[in-house]
Amino acid sequence: MVVLKDEDREPIASGLRRSLVAPLVSLQRGAERWRNAWVSSEQYQTTIDSLSLRGANAQAMRSENDQLRKLIGLGSRLAWGFVPAEALHSTAQSEELVTTITLTAGSTAGVRRYSPVVAPEGIVGMIQTADPSMSIAILYTHPDFHASAMSADGAGFGIIYPHNAGVASGDAYTLEMRGVPTKVTLKPGTAIYTAGLGGVFPRGITIGTVIQELKTSEVWTRTYLVRPAVTPSKITTVLILTAQRVTQGTGNVWGGAAVNADSATRRIAAAGDSIARQAAQLEAQARAAVLDSVRRATIDSVRRSLGAFVPPQTDTSRVAGRPPRDSLRPDSGRTKRP
Amino acid sequence: MSWTGMARTVIVCAILIVLHFTLRPLLAWRASVDFLIVALLLGAVRLRPGMGAVYGFALGLVAGSLDVGGFGAAALGMSLVGFGASWLKAVFFADNLALNGFFLFIAKWLFDLVFLLVGHRAHGAELAMQLFVWSPLSAAVTAVAGVIALSILRPLMEMRTA
Repeated sequence: MVVLKDEDREPIASGLRRSLVAPLVSLQRGAERWRNAWVSSEQYQTTIDSLSLRGANAQAMRSENDQLRKLIGLGSRLAWGFVPAEALHSTAQSEELVTTITLTAGSTAGVRRYSPVVAPEGIVGMIQTADPSMSIAILYTHPDFHASAMSADGAGFGIIYPHNAGVASGDAYTLEMRGVPTKVTLKPGTAIYTAGLGGVFPRGITIGTVIQELKTSEVWTRTYLVRPAVTPSKITTVLILTAQRVTQGTGNVWGGAAVNADSATRRIAAAGDSIARQAAQLEAQARAAVLDSVRRATIDSVRRSLGAFVPPQTDTSRVAGRPPRDSLRPDSGRTKRP
Repeated sequence: MSWTGMARTVIVCAILIVLHFTLRPLLAWRASVDFLIVALLLGAVRLRPGMGAVYGFALGLVAGSLDVGGFGAAALGMSLVGFGASWLKAVFFADNLALNGFFLFIAKWLFDLVFLLVGHRAHGAELAMQLFVWSPLSAAVTAVAGVIALSILRPLMEMRTA
């Protein structure tokens, strides 16, 4: 059998496979299927695990990407006067409430104590300690945090404090706007911005929105509960405003209504100024032209009266590339004096 | 051999043959267990050398029919192993598991030697690698599996002492 050619051996093997060995072939096929199924299930499980991991990573990356994109947008709107920094959250489990964060930018980058810390959504806190390479910021949840605030329409002013009762009620990240005059009523949903008073925070940074009025013992002022625009646990990257930027303001970066009105007013005033300047320039040019004409006419008449030769006038106002005035054109109907 | 003993031997050999076509593909080891060799030795030692060779030839045909190419090499190898086992039955019947394991090892290696050389399955370094690395490993695994099988099936086999 060994000496037979392959063409002769194969029919014998095939016949055996189809007849006597068929049950054994079936057994072997079944065993191989079991084996493949087992191996495949491991591969499927591995694939599912890796896909799940990828999905989780993708979700985190998408969230971080969104935050970074917003931050880039904020950076381009601010244009100057800020230091970007990464926020490192404390992992201490004992902290019931996140009140501080560590930032990866320090005094060598221009960070100073009380520098405002902002995010694309709004205010985050301010620098408490600035080391050369890193700094620690207190968040708006910190008991020492307070900032002057105003409503979007600029009608109501007050001071923002962390809402301590929120910790007990489970809504830890809320703020109080205290000291709002009694005559001013803020409706729920009213946007609150920094007022720019006090010199720490520039005017127009978003703080949050009014939730409701809080009942207090104060008679002449009202206190409002404010929901912050920024969630501390989601902060990954922030911008620290420099002192010069705080002094010069942030303009309409956060798009507040009051800031809008303010900047619109400035734009209108600037536009009015430029129109006035242009009008004044035109008037001055016209006056100079009239005076020049009068002066030339007077000189010509004096010369004529004295019988002196008056050379043909040259156009002093002629500009290169522009044709001369009609009165001085050679083809003019008027005859020149000899 | 009595009819009862023959029936028991047939049952044990059938179990081993089934294991060869079920457990071996399931394990899919690189150095695989050859249950057919175990079945061949168990049957051949109870037969005359000529019948042992025929038994080996039959098992070799079954094994070769499922192999791609080289049909007949397995039959030749198993015939030689069956004949040798039947001829050395006095030695093989020694009630010593270690000795049985050793003969299983030798039988498997001899079979692989004939199968590879006659079937022209490999050449050069590959052949050497197969003969001196994978075949001994497979033979060792077969010997271990055979000893375990003999231990388990001993009550059924009623193995005679030497």
